Amino acid sequence: MHSRFARSFESLRDIFAFTERFFVEQEIPEDDRHVVDLAVEELFTNMVKYNADGEGPIDLALEKADGRLTVRLSDREERPFDVSLPREVDIEAPFEARACGGLGLYLVQAMVDSLDYDHADGVSTIVFTRKLG
Amino acid sequence: MFEIDYGEDGVIVIAGRLDAAHAVEAQAFLDAVPSPGTVDCTRLEYISSAGLGILLRTQKRAMSQGGGLTLVNVSGHIRDVFRYSGFDRIFRIEPAPATD
Repeated sequence: MHSRFARSFESLRDIFAFTERFFVEQEIPEDDRHVVDLAVEELFTNMVKYNADGEGPIDLALEKADGRLTVRLSDREERPFDVSLPREVDIEAPFEARACGGLGLYLVQAMVDSLDYDHADGVSTIVFTRKLG
Repeated sequence: MFEIDYGEDGVIVIAGRLDAAHAVEAQAFLDAVPSPGTVDCTRLEYISSAGLGILLRTQKRAMSQGGGLTLVNVSGHIRDVFRYSGFDRIFRIEPAPATD
């Protein structure tokens, strides 16, 4: 299942409707959807924020096979930004020192089973997988 | 869907999806709360890092006033996000009652 979404935070409503439809059609339990939506939101909004000069929509594709969900996001951008590189967030830091910079990608890396990044021919492609059930 | 408003006894009620698309609305509401205290999360379905950032900013303000946020009726998957992010150390969190 594949669709394209405008480069805007306002697209999140349509994105979540898209993932909901996929989960219903594929008969995937709702419990798995929270992590998938979170990872998609963090990666999508990252593309919106850090490729602000990008043109055209962002591609999102979902595929279920062998008890595993594979999610692919693709965006045209000149400068690579490898979201799979380890993010250091000190979750034990004192409250006063806590900030949210980098927290989104940190959460994605902690909550999905695999996360890969590729940049070729001016297109960034992010693929993550999540075991279902 | 996203809603934020006052409930009974001045409790702040957050419902729906606290994501990046609703961050500005949520922050504006919370910034206008004089002394933020209890937040009822019974109908909060989803939270992302954008939502965590809003709660962190509100918590810092509340603690600077000598108070602090208490999040009540927090569902299991939202508690997971707090745990992964270490935010379970920052807020007082009361789980939602177990359901059959």
